[in-house]
Amino acid sequence: MLQFQPMHLHRHLQRLCAALACGLAIGNAGAAASPVRLPPASDLVVVVSARNPVTALRADQVAAIFLGQAMRFPDGVEAAPLDQRIGSPVRDTFYLRVANKNPALLKAHWSKMVFTGRGQPPGELEDSAAVRRKVAEDPNAIGYIERSALDASVRAVLVVP
Amino acid sequence: MLQSIPGRQAACPLLLMLALALGPAAAHARDVDAESGKPGSWSVSGFGTLGLTHASLRQADYTTSVLKKSGAGASHPWSVDVDSRFGAQLDLTLARRWSAVVQVVSEQRLDNTYRPQVEWANIKYQLTPELALRVGRIALPMFLTADYRKVGYAYPWVRPPVEGYGALPISSSDGIDATLHWGIGRVHNVTQAVYGHEDVDVAAPLYAYGRGLAALSNTSAWGDLSVRINMMRAEITTNAGSQLFDALTAFGAPGQALARRYAIDHKEADMLNIGMSYDPGRWFVMAEAGRTRTRSLLGTTHNAYISGGWRWRALTPYATWSRVRAAGSTAENGLPLDGLPPALAAQVAAVNGGLNNLLATATQQTSAAAGVRWDLRTGMALKLQYDRVKPIDGSRGTLINPTPAFRSDRAFHVASVALDFVY
Repeated sequence: MLQFQPMHLHRHLQRLCAALACGLAIGNAGAAASPVRLPPASDLVVVVSARNPVTALRADQVAAIFLGQAMRFPDGVEAAPLDQRIGSPVRDTFYLRVANKNPALLKAHWSKMVFTGRGQPPGELEDSAAVRRKVAEDPNAIGYIERSALDASVRAVLVVP
Repeated sequence: MLQSIPGRQAACPLLLMLALALGPAAAHARDVDAESGKPGSWSVSGFGTLGLTHASLRQADYTTSVLKKSGAGASHPWSVDVDSRFGAQLDLTLARRWSAVVQVVSEQRLDNTYRPQVEWANIKYQLTPELALRVGRIALPMFLTADYRKVGYAYPWVRPPVEGYGALPISSSDGIDATLHWGIGRVHNVTQAVYGHEDVDVAAPLYAYGRGLAALSNTSAWGDLSVRINMMRAEITTNAGSQLFDALTAFGAPGQALARRYAIDHKEADMLNIGMSYDPGRWFVMAEAGRTRTRSLLGTTHNAYISGGWRWRALTPYATWSRVRAAGSTAENGLPLDGLPPALAAQVAAVNGGLNNLLATATQQTSAAAGVRWDLRTGMALKLQYDRVKPIDGSRGTLINPTPAFRSDRAFHVASVALDFVY
């Protein structure tokens, strides 16, 4: 619903060329299924706006929102999930821990959704600070950030150890 | 139809895909800075498979759909046409709640070209976050993976098991649908109802169409478990085999009765299918069972498969067992020969033979497959797969272009390599 990185023509071409050329050059084979994880000690927190009445969510509720299976918070408020950048350790760790999905499985999931018209992946923001800023100002937004980036502008509803 | 044309046109998939990707992009270059989700914003995505398949048999072609001209086997020992395809999709936001999508797919067709076809094109109205209504050409919700079966990257195998998926050569319908998301506790459901019709693109003078096509599908996800139930019915008509039925009709009431029984002429067809997948990440198992029923020469078939694999680093080795069987006999006594003069009896016997030949179209086949998926990078996977395939009980299974030398009940081997990508 909200995408903050508009898709540019040259990015499409880059992605296309990357998909066809770089992938064939199998230099980074293995990276797809072995994402860079955060150090074990660094927790992630799932955050909503301080104005959102939700106080706590289970991991499966968070996964359903981020995978496009649930459109609302449990109290009925519409949910607008926000992703971090593709390939970022925060994102890869979040989906592994919450949804058992490595980057390749997550990409396969959204391929199914997009190419059957059932949904589009969440919009992407650059880093934890950007997600926190956006979540703070939007009562519908939900994001995940490093615990170290947490402050009073947002409310943590799930700690992802 | 049964011949292969040597010296086929060499399709240039890469150029084609670039054209597909650039066409809409160039037309909307002014809008590239618009935020997605605002009216006028758009995005382009695409998918594709570069496949090469070898089959050990020489008496027929192994392929994935009866809507293809050829495959690996009799036409060519090695074929790129079995799995290779390219698709591009344009998503447009028209206004708040209104969006449109066009998906174009290029793959080998019955005319032996890769001329792109509009796989689906529809306008969606998002009534609520949970309820969407669409009008236009819509992907048919059949089987566990049927509505994305052309997106190789989305599933573990080189191709979905042909024993089940071959029963439905069409993948979209022109009409309307409604999709509702709903939840009960931890179970998330998606229910879809479709109504429309479908004209199958076969080479003239052949025609094939389905009318009054109605489908109901429900997918329930509970954590890593997903269960999907699909139902579909349609009234189907084709003139394939019409010469034989014309001949039968010439033999009086018994011949007319046979023609009425077996001709695919406004015949009710229905499909019922249940599939499950359990995928906790480290491994997965998928299984499906279904029934396809028509009161025609296609008869009733039951299909099932089970597949499992585990993920180790970027590798996913997997194995699949699959089969399709006809319910009841596929042989027909045909017109009685008793008491006919020898010359006429020979003609009648030929017609009876032709009828039984058509009835062998009922798919009966088992196959076992083993393969490995290698995720080269996110959005690209290389797959190797070996299949041992055996058409059984006189059927030619899912094979096309059989030569007179074809014999059922003989196993053959298929080796495939496929590079799948999405972008």
